[in-house]
Amino acid sequence: MAYPTATLDVVGLWVGWFLMLMIYSYPLYKENPAYRTAEHMFIGVTLAITAITNFSNVMRLCITPLMQGNILMIVPLILGLLIFTMLIPEYRWVSRYPIAVMVGAGFGLGIRGTIKPNLQDAIIDTITAPSGGGILDWFNYLWVAVGLVCSIMYFLLTFEHAGPLKGPTRLGRLFLMLALGGYFGNTVLFRFTMLTGRAQFFLQVLKLIPM
Amino acid sequence: MSLSKLANIDRRVFYWILFIALMVPFLSPIGFPITIAPNTQDLYDGITGDQVNEGDVWIMNFGYGVSAWSECHPAVTVCTKALFREGAKIIFIGIHYDVELTYNKLQDTCSEDFADKVYGEDYVFLGYMTGGESVVAQLGSDIASVFPQDHFGTPYGDIPMLEGVEDHTDIAGVLSSDTGDYGTHFMTQWQAAYGTKMAEIGIAMNGSTDLPRWQAGNFFGVSVGSRGGAELEALIGELGEATTAMDSISVSHLLLILAIILGNIGVLTEKLGGKK
Amino acid sequence: MSNVLKQEAVYAVTGIITILMILEYFFFAETQAWAETIRTWAVIIFNISLFLGAIRLIMAHSVRIQEKRRDWQFSGLLLVFFVIMLLTGIAGYIATGVQTNNGIYNWMFNYIYTPLGATLYPITGFYIFSAAYRAFRARNIDAALMLLAGCLVMLYNAPVGEAIWIGFKDLGYWVQFTGQVPGMRTLAIVGALGLIAFGFRALLGKERGFYAGGGE
Repeated sequence: MAYPTATLDVVGLWVGWFLMLMIYSYPLYKENPAYRTAEHMFIGVTLAITAITNFSNVMRLCITPLMQGNILMIVPLILGLLIFTMLIPEYRWVSRYPIAVMVGAGFGLGIRGTIKPNLQDAIIDTITAPSGGGILDWFNYLWVAVGLVCSIMYFLLTFEHAGPLKGPTRLGRLFLMLALGGYFGNTVLFRFTMLTGRAQFFLQVLKLIPM
Repeated sequence: MSLSKLANIDRRVFYWILFIALMVPFLSPIGFPITIAPNTQDLYDGITGDQVNEGDVWIMNFGYGVSAWSECHPAVTVCTKALFREGAKIIFIGIHYDVELTYNKLQDTCSEDFADKVYGEDYVFLGYMTGGESVVAQLGSDIASVFPQDHFGTPYGDIPMLEGVEDHTDIAGVLSSDTGDYGTHFMTQWQAAYGTKMAEIGIAMNGSTDLPRWQAGNFFGVSVGSRGGAELEALIGELGEATTAMDSISVSHLLLILAIILGNIGVLTEKLGGKK
Repeated sequence: MSNVLKQEAVYAVTGIITILMILEYFFFAETQAWAETIRTWAVIIFNISLFLGAIRLIMAHSVRIQEKRRDWQFSGLLLVFFVIMLLTGIAGYIATGVQTNNGIYNWMFNYIYTPLGATLYPITGFYIFSAAYRAFRARNIDAALMLLAGCLVMLYNAPVGEAIWIGFKDLGYWVQFTGQVPGMRTLAIVGALGLIAFGFRALLGKERGFYAGGGE
C-alpha cells in the first residue's frame, strides 16, 4: 500500500498516528487524560461496530429467511429476544432457555469433536514408534511417551502425590514446566510482532520508511 | 551501578528502550538468514504442485483482527498467492468485525494475483460469521445456511463459483488463520469429522498447541506466527512484511533474554553469597 | 411448577440438545436436517445475545453520566462516538445493505478503530519485557527449566539466535518440536477429558453455572 495522497486519507493516517501515541502514553509515561480519551473512543466505536455487524448478521440469517416464508425462523428469533430478560431481575430465569440451547449445542459439538483429534490421534501419535529411525528419533519417541504419561499422572488430583506416585508426578511437573516455557517463548514472538507492527507504522507515517 | 539499583530502575525506562530498539532495525536492516521449519515446508507443499488441482475450492478463514495483522497476514498473503497460482478458487470468511479491512488489505498485498481473477468466479468474500463451534459445524453441513449472501449482498445461489458448492464435500481444504479457537473448531468439526484437509496459519502463541497436532496428522502444515510468515515468503521467493520485521524481532528477543539474564544475576549472586 | 420451569426444564433442554448433537455424529452417516436446524438456531441466538454486552455497557456509562460520577466526561465521549458510528453505519446499511458503504463510518472504521485496535493489544508486549526483568526468577529447578525452554524457543524463533550460534537453533528446534510436546499434548488430552466430563455434568443438570440469576 502506498502512502495515501487523498486529503481525508492523509488526515486519517495522522489521526491514527496520534491516537497510537495517546495509547502508548500510558506505558511510556503514566495514565493520563489522553490515554483515557483514546480508550473510550475505541470502546464507543467498537460497541457500534459490534451492534451493526451483529444486526446485519441477524437480518441475513434470520429475518430475511423469515420474510421469505421460512416460518420456523420465528423460534430462534423469539428465543434470542428472550435472552434480554436477563436485564429484568424478576424474569431473569427466562433467559436460561436460549442459553440452554447454546450450551447444549456447544457441549454436544464439543464432546463429539474433541475425541478424535485430542484423544485418539494424540495417543496414537505418541505410541507409534519411529520406523527405522536413529538414536535421536528413539530418544524423542521415549521422551514424548514417558513425558506424556508422567504429565498426565501429575493431573491425578484425587490421589496424593506420594509414595510410588511421587517420582512420576514430579517428573511430570518438570515436563509441564518445559512445555510452558516453550509456550512462553512463542507468546513473546506473538506480542513482540504486534509491537513491531506498530513501530513500523510509526515510522511509515513519518515517511522514514516506505509504506 | 549496584544490582539493587538495577532492580529498582523505573519500568518505563525498559519500555522506552524496547520502543526505540524495535524501530532501529527498520531504519538500518540487518538481514539474518532464515531456516525453513518442516511444518512450514509441509504447509507450502500442501498448497502447491500436485496437491492442488485447478478449480479446487478452498476456504480461507480470517480468524485474526487488525491487531494481529503483522503476525498472520504475511502467511495468509503467501498462501493466497500460492493457491491462486495453482488455479484454485478461494472462499474468504472471517470471525472478526474488521474482517472487511483484512480482506481489503489482502487485496492490496496480493494485488497482482487478484488482478487477473474475477470476483464470483475465482474468489468470493462471504464475510463475517460468529457462533463458535456451532457455526463452524453448521458451515460444514450447509454453507449457504451460514452465508445466505456474500458480504456485498449477492445471494449465495447467484454466485457462479458457488454453484454446486454446498458443504464440506465440495471443499478441497481449509486454511484457518487464528488468534483464538476457530482453528480448533475447524479441526474438530471439519478435519476430525469429515477428514477435510486442513492447515493452521496461526499466531505464534498457538504454535505450541498446533505443532503436536501437525505431528499427529490433524493439520497438513502449520505456520507459526510471523516467523512462519517469513519462512513462507522465502519459499515463494517474494520477501515481504514478515521478513522485514524479523530484524526487529531479533533485536527485541535479544533484549528480552538480556533482561532475563540481568534479572537472574541477582538470584545467582544471592545463592552464591548464601553458600559462602 | 415454577421450580420445574426455572430449573428442571432448562436442564432437560440442555441435555436433550447435547444428546441429539452426539447422536447425529455417532449414529448417522450424513448430517441430519433436524441437527442442522438446531445448530442454525444456536447460531442465531448467539448473534442476538451479542447485543446484550453492548446494551449493558451503554447502560453502565449512561448511569455514570446521569450521576456525574468521576470522569463521567469520558463516558459521554464514549456515547458520542457510539452514536455517530451507529447512525452512520445504519445509514450505510439501509442505503446499500453494507454498513461500510457510508463514508463517515468507513473513515472512522479505518482511521479510528483500526489504529486503536492495533495499538491496545500490543501493550502487553511492554509488560512482558518489564516482567522478564523484574519477575522471571529461576529460584528453583522448575522455574529454571521453564526459563531455559523459553529462552531457547525465543532464540529459535528469532533469526539472530542461529546467527550467534548454530546450537541455539538446534536446541530451540528440539524444544519446539519435541521438548514441549509431552506437556502440550497432556494439556490437550486433559482438556478434552475435562470437556467431556463437564459436558456430561451439564447434560445431567449438575452444572448450573451457566444459568445464574433468577433466584435459584
